Amino acid sequence: MSEPLWTPDPAAAARSEMAVFQAECARRTGRRLATWGEFQDFACAEYRTFWRLFLDWSGTLCEGDHEPVCLGDGVAEARFFPRLRLNWTENLLRTVTPGDAAAEAMVAVDENGGRRAWTRGALREQARALAGGLQAIGVRSGDRVVAYARHAGETVLACLAATALGAAWSAVAPDLGVEAVLARFQQIEPVVLFAHFDHAYQGARKGLEDRVRAVLAALPSVRAVVVLDGDGFTGDPPPGVALHTLDALRRRGAASELAASTWWPRFPFDHPLFVLFSSGTTGRPKCIVHGHGGTLLEHQKEHRLHSGFGPSDTLYFHTTAGWMMWNWLVSALACGTRIVLYDGSPTWPQPDALLRMLQREAVTVFGTSPAYVQYLKEAGLDPARDVPLPRLRAIQSTGSVLYDWLFHWLHEHVARVPVQSISGGTDILGCFVLGHPGLPVWAGESQCVSLAMDVRAAADGVARRTGTGELVCMNPFPSRPVGFLADPDGTRYRQTYYSQHEGAWTHGDFLTLHERGSARILGRSDGTLKIRGVRIGPAELYSVVLAMEGIVDAMALAQHAPDEPGGTRLVLLVVLAPGRVLDRPLMLRIKKELQTRASPVHVPAVIAQVQALPQTHNGKRSENAASDALHHRPVRNLVALRNPECLEEIRRLGGAQAP
Amino acid sequence: MQPASLDPTLRKLVIDWLDDNYHFGEAEQLIGSDDRSFLQSGILDSLGFVKLILHLEKTLGIVIDRKDLTPANFDGLAKIVGYVSAHPGYAARKRP
Repeated sequence: MSEPLWTPDPAAAARSEMAVFQAECARRTGRRLATWGEFQDFACAEYRTFWRLFLDWSGTLCEGDHEPVCLGDGVAEARFFPRLRLNWTENLLRTVTPGDAAAEAMVAVDENGGRRAWTRGALREQARALAGGLQAIGVRSGDRVVAYARHAGETVLACLAATALGAAWSAVAPDLGVEAVLARFQQIEPVVLFAHFDHAYQGARKGLEDRVRAVLAALPSVRAVVVLDGDGFTGDPPPGVALHTLDALRRRGAASELAASTWWPRFPFDHPLFVLFSSGTTGRPKCIVHGHGGTLLEHQKEHRLHSGFGPSDTLYFHTTAGWMMWNWLVSALACGTRIVLYDGSPTWPQPDALLRMLQREAVTVFGTSPAYVQYLKEAGLDPARDVPLPRLRAIQSTGSVLYDWLFHWLHEHVARVPVQSISGGTDILGCFVLGHPGLPVWAGESQCVSLAMDVRAAADGVARRTGTGELVCMNPFPSRPVGFLADPDGTRYRQTYYSQHEGAWTHGDFLTLHERGSARILGRSDGTLKIRGVRIGPAELYSVVLAMEGIVDAMALAQHAPDEPGGTRLVLLVVLAPGRVLDRPLMLRIKKELQTRASPVHVPAVIAQVQALPQTHNGKRSENAASDALHHRPVRNLVALRNPECLEEIRRLGGAQAP
Repeated sequence: MQPASLDPTLRKLVIDWLDDNYHFGEAEQLIGSDDRSFLQSGILDSLGFVKLILHLEKTLGIVIDRKDLTPANFDGLAKIVGYVSAHPGYAARKRP
């Protein structure tokens, strides 16, 4: 039998908050909870008791009745803490240790070496003042605000201030094209747009004013623009829209009642906090609403218990303001953890620029992705030798599957610390599998399933605690979405998560659950495309491609990348008008259109012309059949296809290389 | 303007790869001069350089020592083509 990659020190594990809380649960319930298995079984079976105890133990600032913990038992319908009121921002900015106002809470670094830091005291004061300013321009609880923003300190500040007032926050990164931004923001109907007007990546500066103008022109609900950098528009702002700078709003709010007070408004547990986007296989991106209470409790559980974050930690997670890991990172403020933001290219101006930043900032937990680890490996870098990270105590990775050899590489070439592969997603704003301070790390595996989530592998109609199958969760948990926007009766929400396996949340991943409690994510089980960790909405891709002259039909597929073990690449199949041929100029034009109108991640690695795409007898296109053919797998449900003969052509592309 | 000394096959290989992966038909125009720094002008970052190296290795059947992966050897079209032209593996491949 193989050995674990890393084994915890028993004394350190016993001091962890996971162990402390486990002991607390045993004491309060009188149960024997000596092992992780016993603790997890209890937390899943008696989730009401678990969440009640966790709420008390975590010191969450809240008011109202802690009972009932959960109304209903159905995983789709259950509602947690219906009589509780709280505020996510208040809990992030609370006093974690006495006198922590002087402690550095957030550092924002950019690729040009720029650095700004905020103490917890400064963050509290500025968030309050900005909230006062937003209140003065009419932002109210229940409003929605959006950000077209870089991964910078002012973005976090804007989010804290807006959500503190009860407005829901939603953000996208500046590399998203105008059409893709509007496909998201038009559904939200925001009242305020926070925007950066300047963006630097890899040494090249790019003005964003034209994009901001184009976005605003199609968002009539926006009453005000808050400029996150500089002075904003070079000419007049668009008519009907008030223009503010972040600093001016903050100064205006400094004299407000809110800025002078010590209280924050509190909201119902399910009050909308974030709107995140999930790119589906059809239609516009789904707008997933997450609530204050579910987000806060789930992140506290993942951060303090599973990850062991505390006031002595400095956390860096590589993300943009538009990915859910940004929200996850910001939430770590609630543990008293210092967070580090990085704006720019991780490999500019030097190949190891990001690592040098981690070293300078004495990062203790490094969150990364398999794609970046693969880059370090391919570039022949040896961080342990050249850029040692002596303070590092853990590496976390998410976005796609971290394969065994990358665990070993990290251990040998970065640091001999636990490598924690964590996985979940936008849908739950958290993780289903992640790390554990008291369990060993096995290469290629996540250490355990998330506490109090009854995660199983469903196959052949049975959901099992061990084995391989589709990831399902059998019990309710607080961080399920509050719902979707533009889905008044919840039909789309229920259809998305609860229609595949009765009485269970279906996540859209395949996984293996091992006897020893660890888990291995195997990839997507639904039609969602995930390329190098980024979810891509095929519908957005089709809207660009099918608008091009001469393209009759198109289908996007994720294919195992032949040159990158474990990696995936985007393949676009196109059907052209009669007589048209996919030549190089057309291929480059398709890529350019996608880069400009969608985003760089929508650009396929391979574009291939086919005569037809597989369709069912009902006329529905079958991505599954095309994907099976592309991967030379037996095609599922072949009899359901109207034109199975077209698969042979796709099968021949299976070995196609990027042109 | 393309200096006469640059191997045209290699030059085209790099330009085509930049077009296919990053600049989609605009690489030649963006580069302007064969001596222009890719890093300074935002044409390619370090992550892109690694991908380019892997492509050159695979296409040309050569192995590039990662110690050679420095701006002096790779930061610009002329440098890349010059380095690969002088690579023993490429020279051997070209020999009749």
